[in-house]
Amino acid sequence: MALLELRNVTVALGRSDTAKVILEDVSLSLAPKEIVGVVGASASGKTVLSRTAVNWLDPPLVRRSGSVLFEGRDIYGMKETEMRGLRQRISYVGANPMGAMDPTLPVGAQIVEKMRAVMPDVSRRQAQERVIELLAAVRIPSASSRFHDYPSQFSGGMMQRALIVDALVTNPAVLVADNVTQPLDVTVAAQVIRLIKELTDQFNTAVLFISSSLPMVREASTRTLVIDRGRIVEEQATEALVARPSHPYTRELVSQTPKIWRGTETLPALPEDREVVLSLRDASQTYRVKKRSGLGGVNLVRAVRNVTFDVRRGDSFAIVGESGCGKSTLMRLLSRLELPSSGQILCEGKDIATLRGRDLLDFRARLQLVLQDPFGSLPPRTSIGRMLEEPLRTHGWRDREKLRARVLKVMGEVGLAAELYNELPLGLSAGQRQRVNVARALVLEPSILIMDETLSALDQAEQFKLLDLFQKLQQEYNLTYIFISHDLAMVRKVCNRVAVMYLGEVFELAGNERLFFDPGHPYTMALLSAMPTLEDKRYKPEDCLLEGEPPSPLSIPTGCSFKSRCPRAMEVCNGVQPVLTVRHEHDFAACHLVKAEIPLIEDSVEGASA
Amino acid sequence: MSIISIASPDSSTMLASRSLARRVFDKAVASPGFRAGAAIFIVLALATALYPELSGIDPVKMDIKARLLPPLFEGAKWSWAHPLGTDQLGRDMLVRSLVGLRYSFLIGVASVIVMLFVGCTLGTIAGYFGGRIDAVIMRLTDAQLSIPMIILAIAVLGVSRPTIPAIVLVLGMSNWPVYARMMRSVVMTERQREFVRAAQIGGSTDLRIIVTLLLPLLLPSVLFTSVLDVARMMIFESTLGFLGLGVQPPTPTFGNIIADGRKYLLNAWWIATMPGLFLGLTLTSINLMGAALERARDTVHAGGE
Repeated sequence: MALLELRNVTVALGRSDTAKVILEDVSLSLAPKEIVGVVGASASGKTVLSRTAVNWLDPPLVRRSGSVLFEGRDIYGMKETEMRGLRQRISYVGANPMGAMDPTLPVGAQIVEKMRAVMPDVSRRQAQERVIELLAAVRIPSASSRFHDYPSQFSGGMMQRALIVDALVTNPAVLVADNVTQPLDVTVAAQVIRLIKELTDQFNTAVLFISSSLPMVREASTRTLVIDRGRIVEEQATEALVARPSHPYTRELVSQTPKIWRGTETLPALPEDREVVLSLRDASQTYRVKKRSGLGGVNLVRAVRNVTFDVRRGDSFAIVGESGCGKSTLMRLLSRLELPSSGQILCEGKDIATLRGRDLLDFRARLQLVLQDPFGSLPPRTSIGRMLEEPLRTHGWRDREKLRARVLKVMGEVGLAAELYNELPLGLSAGQRQRVNVARALVLEPSILIMDETLSALDQAEQFKLLDLFQKLQQEYNLTYIFISHDLAMVRKVCNRVAVMYLGEVFELAGNERLFFDPGHPYTMALLSAMPTLEDKRYKPEDCLLEGEPPSPLSIPTGCSFKSRCPRAMEVCNGVQPVLTVRHEHDFAACHLVKAEIPLIEDSVEGASA
Repeated sequence: MSIISIASPDSSTMLASRSLARRVFDKAVASPGFRAGAAIFIVLALATALYPELSGIDPVKMDIKARLLPPLFEGAKWSWAHPLGTDQLGRDMLVRSLVGLRYSFLIGVASVIVMLFVGCTLGTIAGYFGGRIDAVIMRLTDAQLSIPMIILAIAVLGVSRPTIPAIVLVLGMSNWPVYARMMRSVVMTERQREFVRAAQIGGSTDLRIIVTLLLPLLLPSVLFTSVLDVARMMIFESTLGFLGLGVQPPTPTFGNIIADGRKYLLNAWWIATMPGLFLGLTLTSINLMGAALERARDTVHAGGE
């Protein structure tokens, strides 16, 4: 018998007949110990579905018809007290780990509180023991001291695991996981998925795994449902769904998922001797952070360490790495929002730190940045036209007619309607807002564009459209792109050269093909193995998946900074810090294995031609 | 670099859509609250500007025979010559109130402008630049806050003569720390936003970011609270007048009219009441217009139109 069952559920936004229907006639069932995936684009009703399943519909959401059965009983038909008792058996984990807990109370105390709310007969001491036990089970290091830490002291991945503990602490029969991996880095997301799979065995929990990413659902679930605009359009065993999608929407979803190793399109080859437009020479950035305890004293945070690389005209250069690897600091250095504490950054031969006045303004016009957050990056009360004129005014444009003509031209190029000129950015979708962002960068006719996670807030279809736009603009204006990203699939599709960063260092610097088919660093390989795809993995996660999280940049270990997580760590890694070493002419990796000419995987040469 | 136009803008649609400020204003004007407020305000403004001169009555001319006349239809002795009655020296209350309104309004608005200017400038600088500059400015506001207003007024106005500019300065200087703190906190949060970074990348200087980006975003709400302060400053001026540190008699202001009327409150209530009536009317009209503008701004900016 099904443990949790939704029968023909319809949910609408309000009671009136004209109200927007969010979920339409949705049915699904979940057997004990099963993981069922639900996949759909943003605004397809995924979150409403997950909330419906746990009886958490806030007004104006209204369940019109249908029932939700838990062990055969309708949870919407029960009294509130009865439902509260049932909360012990049905749990929910959401997508925003950092906002889910009260920042003023220790994490452990909050989980204990929740446990005792649904299980009043458990003593405080027992509850505490159980929580610590579970924190250890989800691999939070030194769980008994972490129990007393505050949410701000947890990283995103650790917080998500703490929330899984929060959901599991009452030994639920059903866990609804709503997009849990979305805010996490690939390696951490892979850990969380592995954890969820283990938990179904260990605690007999069934999981409803809801996600916007099909590859992610494929990693986790055995059976998958596809939801499109509030309707379940297809249900199949996961592997069959990926191999033989029957509904057109599913086919589209599968075909839009980027291929990493089996992709057919290759990037156009670029000549090697193009002019160097941006060059980093040993650039480092060190922040001084006040120590939390005691008087005075500062910690030195070495956010970026001795980074050296060249970007040539026409390149699409990618900087990839997990959160906290120094990508954002590097972005601030490149865009001269900060000056490096040592080393140099040269733009067309000139050190950007020494630029002043007119020269600085010229540099600003040449290098522009497209920001990450489509909502925070546009001033809320400025009309779009005014917003786009602003950089031009800064650069000395005064003629109103010319300003307007230039802005309208750029708006047309990025696909914004001219009617938006006098509108606020308010009603725009995330994709439209990102176009405004791109337009704001383009009005100055720059030659270098830095994309700081520009696409990460958009869903797949919108990403594709913008990437096409970027490629068109690149050809038209001979632009140089620097993509700062954690999305390797996107990098594979558009970038010709990639730098992999870890703890402020560049670990590997290589061309696209080389990096994905013959990585020179164990960390690169770990990233590739953790990446969710619809293809067979080229690198087995069992061989190279990382445990734990990067060490704190406050105390970077001596020798190789990766040694604590590296499956291939050797004696020499303890004492000697590896430097970028040439392999195959133009590619570099900072690993002792490269110097010793030990291949990362024995059969790599045969596999590469596949 | 030459640019090939892909979509040429359609100029007819461009002209059809009105600019934001225009839309906000049109929407506000259409609301009944704004119209009522504007009507009261215009009547009062015309009356203060024209009536004292047109009627030819001198606000300081005494007429002992006609002293303590009540306003219209009150008691037995009222007269059409003095619609709001007369005070203890037989001066016409209507003219005195209107002239008093001139001075009080002038002092109220001017001192709020001083206050806003000093407070917002210092607050914005402190919030935007932070660090040592912030520490110095904030200690300065603490120092300012620790001096009671009345003591400051006595010290300054007692030494120099209590002229109108001096009063405006004292009132303005005693209240700016509130605005400094308010601006500092909002500027601090706004300057972390991504669009500030975007402007920096665009080459904007700090001054440009503050003036073109932050102030237009933050000032409207500050201005709205400051309208209430106009009333507060008018009342403070009355307090000073009451202590004898305000505008000196015989020039009528609300402060000294009320101070005079206090002695006759039992047998001639109108002397102390009439200035209050005008004060109330003025502030109601300003607030009605302000509220309508604020509402219009919110609906337009929330996508209501």
